[in-house]
Amino acid sequence: MLRNIWKFLLLIWMGVVIWGAFTYTPTAKALGETTRILYFHVPCSWVATLSFLIAAISGILYLVKNDLKYDLWAENAAHLGLFFTVLATITGSIWAKVIWHPFWNWDPRETSIFILLLIYAAYFALRSAVEEDEQKARLSAVYVILAFITVPFLVFIVPRIYDSLHPDPVINAQGKIKMNGKMLQVFFASMAGFTVIFFWMLRLKVQTALLERKLQMRKFKKLTENRDV
Amino acid sequence: MSDIYVVLSVNLLIWFSLFGYLFALDRKVQKLKKMLEND
Repeated sequence: MLRNIWKFLLLIWMGVVIWGAFTYTPTAKALGETTRILYFHVPCSWVATLSFLIAAISGILYLVKNDLKYDLWAENAAHLGLFFTVLATITGSIWAKVIWHPFWNWDPRETSIFILLLIYAAYFALRSAVEEDEQKARLSAVYVILAFITVPFLVFIVPRIYDSLHPDPVINAQGKIKMNGKMLQVFFASMAGFTVIFFWMLRLKVQTALLERKLQMRKFKKLTENRDV
Repeated sequence: MSDIYVVLSVNLLIWFSLFGYLFALDRKVQKLKKMLEND
């Protein structure tokens, strides 16, 4: 029971965030009620970036320690990164439809996220193209590290260089935060909640992969034993 | 469509996706654990 208490706390935390997003925070003049999407759309992008970082770190650890466990972490983190990127893209395009009218505008941020989706989709194409486990892990580790080099450019630099339909980032090019105090509180509370949800999902995904591997090994062992008899 | 409904639908989309995914993963872990125990 005590081990699961954090799940209840997280549920309450996110409940408060949703309540805060709908009732506590003011809306921005230009965006109206849709301002409230900010508290869910931006954390999705943040968590996606975080998962790509974890995938790259796991890739480095795999190359250093040559332990397949790190390949599992990299694969699952990249998978979740892709999931959150898709979620951020969908929520963003719904928001765009209301504010800018078309669902897709090829705005610098939209273009960056599209390129990012392609880069990480190619990671899974690469994984499915290689049969042998060690070779797959080595190639994927190198790819996921190289892929992450593009992330800071696509997520942080490109949208700050080119004119964008998007409003100023939360931390703007001058390194300053321009947001109402109440909005900031809910925004950072939501970022924290999404981060915990992400780590929960990642832990479950890695646990699933490890259990599947264990089960496969047992089956293989049984098969070879039967053949020997 | 009123803006508030857009915000609500975005919320529903996010929470159904996140908790649906979490629920599916949790079920899978439990199922695999049982399979390993019975094996």
